[in-house]
Amino acid sequence: MGEAGKGTTAVRMSPVAWLIAPAGLFFLVFFVLPFGVMALLSVLTGNPMQRPNVSFTTRHYERMADDSLYFESLASTLKIGAITTLATLILGYPIAHWLARIRSRAGHALLLMAVIAPMLTGIVVRTFAWMTILADKGVINSTLQGLGLTSAPLPLMYNEFGTTVALVHIYVPFMVLTLAGVIGGIDERLEEAVMSLGASPLRAFLEVTLPLSLPGIMAGSLLVFALAISAYVTPYLMGGQQVLTLPMLIYQQVAATFNTAFAGALGVLLLVVSIVLVIAYNRVLGRLTRREDLA
Amino acid sequence: MRALVLGRVAYRAINALVLFFLLAPLAVVVVFALNPTPFIQFPPIGVTSRWFAKFFASPDFMNSLALSLQVAAATVVLAMLVGASAALAIARGGLPGARLITALFLAPLMLPAILTGLALFQVVLSLGFGRPVWALVAGHTVVAVPYVIRTTLAVLADFDRRIEEAAASLGATPLRVFFEVTLPLIRPGVIAGGIFAFIVSFDQFPISLFLVAPNRETLPIVMFNYMKFDLDGTIAAASMVSILLALAVVLTIDRVVGLRATMKI
Repeated sequence: MGEAGKGTTAVRMSPVAWLIAPAGLFFLVFFVLPFGVMALLSVLTGNPMQRPNVSFTTRHYERMADDSLYFESLASTLKIGAITTLATLILGYPIAHWLARIRSRAGHALLLMAVIAPMLTGIVVRTFAWMTILADKGVINSTLQGLGLTSAPLPLMYNEFGTTVALVHIYVPFMVLTLAGVIGGIDERLEEAVMSLGASPLRAFLEVTLPLSLPGIMAGSLLVFALAISAYVTPYLMGGQQVLTLPMLIYQQVAATFNTAFAGALGVLLLVVSIVLVIAYNRVLGRLTRREDLA
Repeated sequence: MRALVLGRVAYRAINALVLFFLLAPLAVVVVFALNPTPFIQFPPIGVTSRWFAKFFASPDFMNSLALSLQVAAATVVLAMLVGASAALAIARGGLPGARLITALFLAPLMLPAILTGLALFQVVLSLGFGRPVWALVAGHTVVAVPYVIRTTLAVLADFDRRIEEAAASLGATPLRVFFEVTLPLIRPGVIAGGIFAFIVSFDQFPISLFLVAPNRETLPIVMFNYMKFDLDGTIAAASMVSILLALAVVLTIDRVVGLRATMKI
């Protein structure tokens, strides 16, 4: 730490610290408090702002436990999240490696733009793109039938497959950027040293680069998993009636039956899963930055 | 030697395929935005501007586009003010537990945005506010602030603190150091964060889902509702507008600060 100045070892609070106040207040009112309200309403019999006598209840959670629909939906959400994560890792790793190792500055800039441009395109737009590609009269089926390779359209959409393909497309950039940062931090001379001792590039990669990039794989996977299990638009439009994820059930409770308390209870379930992921993600990243501090 | 060449070819081929997977869908949108058939049909049979004409003539799309732009503008201003000051406090304030504070402010990036929307919706509903536009802006700002904090922190981490100390030792007051040294130095990071805030708000779906009022919806919501029933070129045209915007954003950020500095996730 280059703590130049007064010669004190303890980090001094400076007046600049007060600049945290606006953000702190904003997040308290519009982020922390709402989540608290959501959790509170999920264990109350009604809304205390509208009804004078409300009491605590576990009925929303009992309803969740009683009906296997909610457990199945959670399982299907986690399953889609896991498959999406694995696929983004497999597709994202080569690009991340290239991005981290490319020597030309212009090449790096172009590659980075190619990764970020889809990321900055809205999810609704990207889901629409995949609908036009995977639909019965979409790009793939029209091409296959035009070439006479298939006689009927393949069922590419309105199922778990279509949902996952679109989700993978949406989250690959997040994986690439996380991995590229970590791979870029690995000293290239380590690989060169192993290769000068006679190892093939593949072996150098498998025995040096891959193990050293494991924290990146962990961080990227946790990030993508957390994002994928909260997706709403893509499973809704690409899944047809075949895919029912937790976020879809949550919105349905509000839109169809206006049972906001039960929606909140389902929300708490999703929130608990997410918070575990966030904590794990921060741990992995924390260990990473400490390692960089030591290096 | 042959294995080496083969390996290199495989490496290139895999990367080319993944790039194609990433970019082809965006190109497909452009094809359908220009194809004149009333339904999605491939291969395209010609070029038309009728979908753009329909998009720009539709009051539904135009009203929602206007609302989206207004909400995004408000979000940008708020997120830049709140985010930049928070980043300064984190990097320069000597706050105890700075790592935990940073994690809290970056949490909206990873926590399901649909829950941020639901939770905020329950608060405004409980308080009897209905679905006001300010709640929409507040929700968008919560997910936009992390981007501003991150880009500003990236710039703050890069610049030499001794510049500020030198200014102070030459007799500048802390206020003067802030306005004449620190602020100009962090400006690119704050602007890049503001550009991200714009795109995050403009494309925002899950938070808006709960907070838009009927007949006063943002563009992504209107597009989503349209897509539930109809897939024609109008949506493709609307999508192409959004893609062009994303490209403009990428190029602007690259110009202002360089993409590399801002893309550390």
